[in-house]
Amino acid sequence: MSPTPQPARRSGLRLALVVAATALLSAGCDARHAYENAFGFGLPKPMTLQANRIYDTWLGSVAAATVVGLFVWGLIFYAVVRYRKSSDELPRQVRYNLPIEVLYTVVPFVIISVLFYYTAVNENFINNTKAKPDLTVDIVGFQWNWQFEYPKQQLQVTGTPTQPAVMVLPAGKRIRFVETSPDVIHSWFVPAFLFKRDVIPGRKNGFEVTIKKAAVGHTFIGRCAEFCGEKHSRMNFFVKVVSPADFDSYLTKLGQDPNAAIGSGTRGAIPTQPEYGVVPGTSGNSEGEGTSK
Amino acid sequence: MTLLTGTTSTPVQVRRQNPSPGAKIVKVLTTTDHKTIGLLYLTTSFFFFLAAGFMAMLMRAELARPGLQILSAEQYNQMFTLHGSIMMFLFAPPAAYGFTNYIMPLQIGAPDMSFPRLNAFSYWLYLFGGILVLAAFLTPQGAADFGWFAYTPLSDIIHSPSVGSDMWIVGLVTAGLGTILGGVNFVTTIITLRAPGMTMFRMPIFTWNMLVTSILALMAFPVLAAAWLALMADRHLGAHIYDPSNGGAILYQHLFWFFGHPEVYIVALPFFGVITEIIPVFSRKPVFGYKGLVFATIGIGALSMTVWAHHMFVTGAVLLPFFAFMSFLIAVPTGVKFFNWIGTMWRGQLTFETPMLFCVGFLVTFLLGGLTGVMLASPPIDFHVSDTYFVVAHFHYVLFGTVVFAFFAGVYYWFPKMTGRMMNDRLGKVHFWTLFIGFHLTFLVQHWLGDQGMPRRIADYRAADGFTTLNTISSIGAFVLGASTLPFIYNVWTSFTSGRRAVGDDPWGFGNSLEWATSCPPPRHNFVTMPRIRSERPAFDLHYPETAGRVDFHATPELG
Repeated sequence: MSPTPQPARRSGLRLALVVAATALLSAGCDARHAYENAFGFGLPKPMTLQANRIYDTWLGSVAAATVVGLFVWGLIFYAVVRYRKSSDELPRQVRYNLPIEVLYTVVPFVIISVLFYYTAVNENFINNTKAKPDLTVDIVGFQWNWQFEYPKQQLQVTGTPTQPAVMVLPAGKRIRFVETSPDVIHSWFVPAFLFKRDVIPGRKNGFEVTIKKAAVGHTFIGRCAEFCGEKHSRMNFFVKVVSPADFDSYLTKLGQDPNAAIGSGTRGAIPTQPEYGVVPGTSGNSEGEGTSK
Repeated sequence: MTLLTGTTSTPVQVRRQNPSPGAKIVKVLTTTDHKTIGLLYLTTSFFFFLAAGFMAMLMRAELARPGLQILSAEQYNQMFTLHGSIMMFLFAPPAAYGFTNYIMPLQIGAPDMSFPRLNAFSYWLYLFGGILVLAAFLTPQGAADFGWFAYTPLSDIIHSPSVGSDMWIVGLVTAGLGTILGGVNFVTTIITLRAPGMTMFRMPIFTWNMLVTSILALMAFPVLAAAWLALMADRHLGAHIYDPSNGGAILYQHLFWFFGHPEVYIVALPFFGVITEIIPVFSRKPVFGYKGLVFATIGIGALSMTVWAHHMFVTGAVLLPFFAFMSFLIAVPTGVKFFNWIGTMWRGQLTFETPMLFCVGFLVTFLLGGLTGVMLASPPIDFHVSDTYFVVAHFHYVLFGTVVFAFFAGVYYWFPKMTGRMMNDRLGKVHFWTLFIGFHLTFLVQHWLGDQGMPRRIADYRAADGFTTLNTISSIGAFVLGASTLPFIYNVWTSFTSGRRAVGDDPWGFGNSLEWATSCPPPRHNFVTMPRIRSERPAFDLHYPETAGRVDFHATPELG
C-alpha cells in the first residue's frame, strides 16, 4: 500500500545514475540525493506516482545531455584554443575521414534509442487509465478560472480571476480527471504533479493520477499553461491534498453548504486577493518538502 | 600572403555619372537586380528585427518585477504576439532570403535569378504584408493578441473581434505568398542556372541549404496560407471549419504545426549554411565531410516534415511514440552537422575575425538549444515543461542562437562583398561580446523559471510565486542584449560611408565559393570572367592553384 514503488524509481535510467553518482557524489549524501541535486535544475519534487516517472525521465535526460554537452563544448573550446593560427602555412586540406564520420552518426543514434526506450516505457505508465478509478473529478477551464466538479456527489467549486478555485483531493487514491472547456483552449497544470493536460473545447481529455501520502496537508499551486486571453495569468488555482477520511467529511460539508468551497472553512490559510500566489511552505516548487521517503 | 595569386577583376561600369536622388530612388523601386533586392530584404528584415526586439524589451521591462507597471495585460499580449510573428515571418525568413538573393546566384555562377521580376514581386509582397501587420497598432483595439500560433477558438471572431486580428492574418498570408514565390525562384535558379562545371555536389553548402529550405517552404507555407484563409472564412463568412464541436480546435493545431515545425528549419537551415560558409574560410580548410553535411541537411529537411505533433504532446490528441521517435531522430543529422563544423576547425589555422567569432558563439549557444531540444522530444518531460519558460529558453537558444548569431556573422562576412568596404573589427568584437553576454544572461535563467513552473505568455506573476529574482536577471540581460545593437548600427553606418576598402576579390584571403572570384561589389551580371569549377571550392582553387585537383583525403601529405 506504499505509494512509492521503489523498483520503478530505481530502474529508471540506471546508467545515467551511475555516471552521475560517480561524478558528483559528495560527502554525506547518498547517490540518489547527489543525482537529484545535480540534475534536478529546480524541478519541484514529484507528488504523484506518475510524476515519479516524469522526474526520473527528466533526471536521466539531463544527465545524458550534460555528458554530451560537456563533451562537445570541450571539443569546441579545445579546437578554438589549440588550433589558433600559429603560422602562415596552409593546414592539411582534410575533407573526409570515413571512420570518424560513421562513428559520429552511429553513436548519437544509440543514445537516442536508449532515451526513446525510457520515454516510451514511462509515457505508457503515465497515460495508463484504469477501468474503475477510485474517484472522478471533472475539470472545466473557462475564461478565466476553473470549475471543479465531483460528479458522483454532484458537488462543484467555481473560481474567479481574483478568487481562485480550490480542488480538494484525497491522497493514495487513483483519481481520474475529465477535462472540458466551454470557450477556448486552456491547460491544467500543477507543477508539483509535474503534469499538465490541455483543456480543449469540443473534446474530453482524461488522465489519472495517484497522489502520494506524503503530500497530505499540503496545498499546491496550479496554473493555466495555454494562453487563453486577457486574464490568462489570473487562472491560478489550488490543489489541497487531504487524507481519504478528511476528504469524505469535506464533501459532506460542501454538500451542506455550497459556499464552503470558497469560505474560510476549506480555504484555510489561502489568502484571497490580491495575494494568491503560494501558501507559506506549500508552494508547487518548494524545496525540502517531504518526498517519497 | 605569398600564396595569393588570384587576379582582381574590374567591374564593368555601366552606371551614369552622378544620378539624381530621384533617379536613384526610382532605380531601387523598379529594380529586378538580385543584389539590390537582396539588400532590400536585408535592410527591411533588420528594421523588423529592431521593431520586434523593442517589443521584447518592453515585455522584459514589464516582467522584471511582479505587478503591471508599464503595459496592460492586453498590450502585453499584443507585444508577444507581434514579437513572435515578426521574428518568425518578417525577420528570419526574409533575412535568409536577403542573403540568398545576394549570394546564391554568385555562388553558382549565375547572372541573376531565374525570374527577376517575380523576385522583385516577392519582396514587395513581403514589405506590404509586413507593414499591414505592424500598422494594426494604429487601430483602436491595437494589434492581434492571440499569440503567434493564433490557436482557434481564441482567434475566432467572438474571442478576437479586432480589425488588428484581420490585418495580422491578411498581412502574414501576403508576406507568406512572397516567401512561397521566393522559394519557387530559388529552386528554379539552383536547378537551372548553375555555371558549367558547377555540379550539384560542387555547390556550396549555403546554396544546398537554401535548396532544401525552399523545398520545405513550398511544402509548408501553402498549408499555412490555406489554414489562415480558412480562419478568415470562419471569421467573416460564417464558415465552421474550426468549429470546436467538429474537432476544429485540434484540426487547426495540426494544420498550424504542419507548417510550424518545418518553419523552424526554414529559418534555421539557411543560417546553418551561413555558418558552414564562414568556418572553413577562417580555418583555412575545406568544410569537413561535405557530402555527409549535404545528406544531413536533406535528412533534417525530410524529418522536419514528420514531427509537427511534438508541439501537441500535452493535447492528449496525438500518437506520442511515433512523434517522439521522429523528433529524437533529428538529433542524429544535427549532431553530424556539429561534428562537421568542429572537424572543419580541427587542425586548422584559426583566426577570430568578427564573422568567425559569431560562428563560435553560434556553436556554443545552439548546442544548448539542441540538447534541450532532445529532452523536449520526450513526452513525459513535456508534460511538465511544455508551455513554460523552459520552452521559451529552449527555442530562443535554437532560434536566436542560429538566426541572429549567423545573421550577424553573415553581415560581417559578406559586407565587403556587398559594399566594397570592410566593417570595423574592433566594434564588431564589442558587438559580439555584449550580445553574447546579454543573450545568455537573458535566457539561461529562463530554464530554471520554466522548471519551477512559470508558464509562458503571462503578463504578470506574484511576488509569492518566487519568480522575481530570475526574472529581474533576465530583464537586465535583455537590456544588455538590446544595447548590443547600437555598436552594430554605428559600425554599419560608418563602415558603409568611410570603412576600409576591401582588397581584391577575396578580402578574407581564403574564400572558397564563387562569390570570392568576382569584384567587391560584383558587376551588374556578376562575373566578368568565370574561373574553372573543378571542386566545391572554385575560388580557393583559383587563388591557390597548387592545391587544386589534389586528392585531399586525410591520407594526403602535408601541404605547404
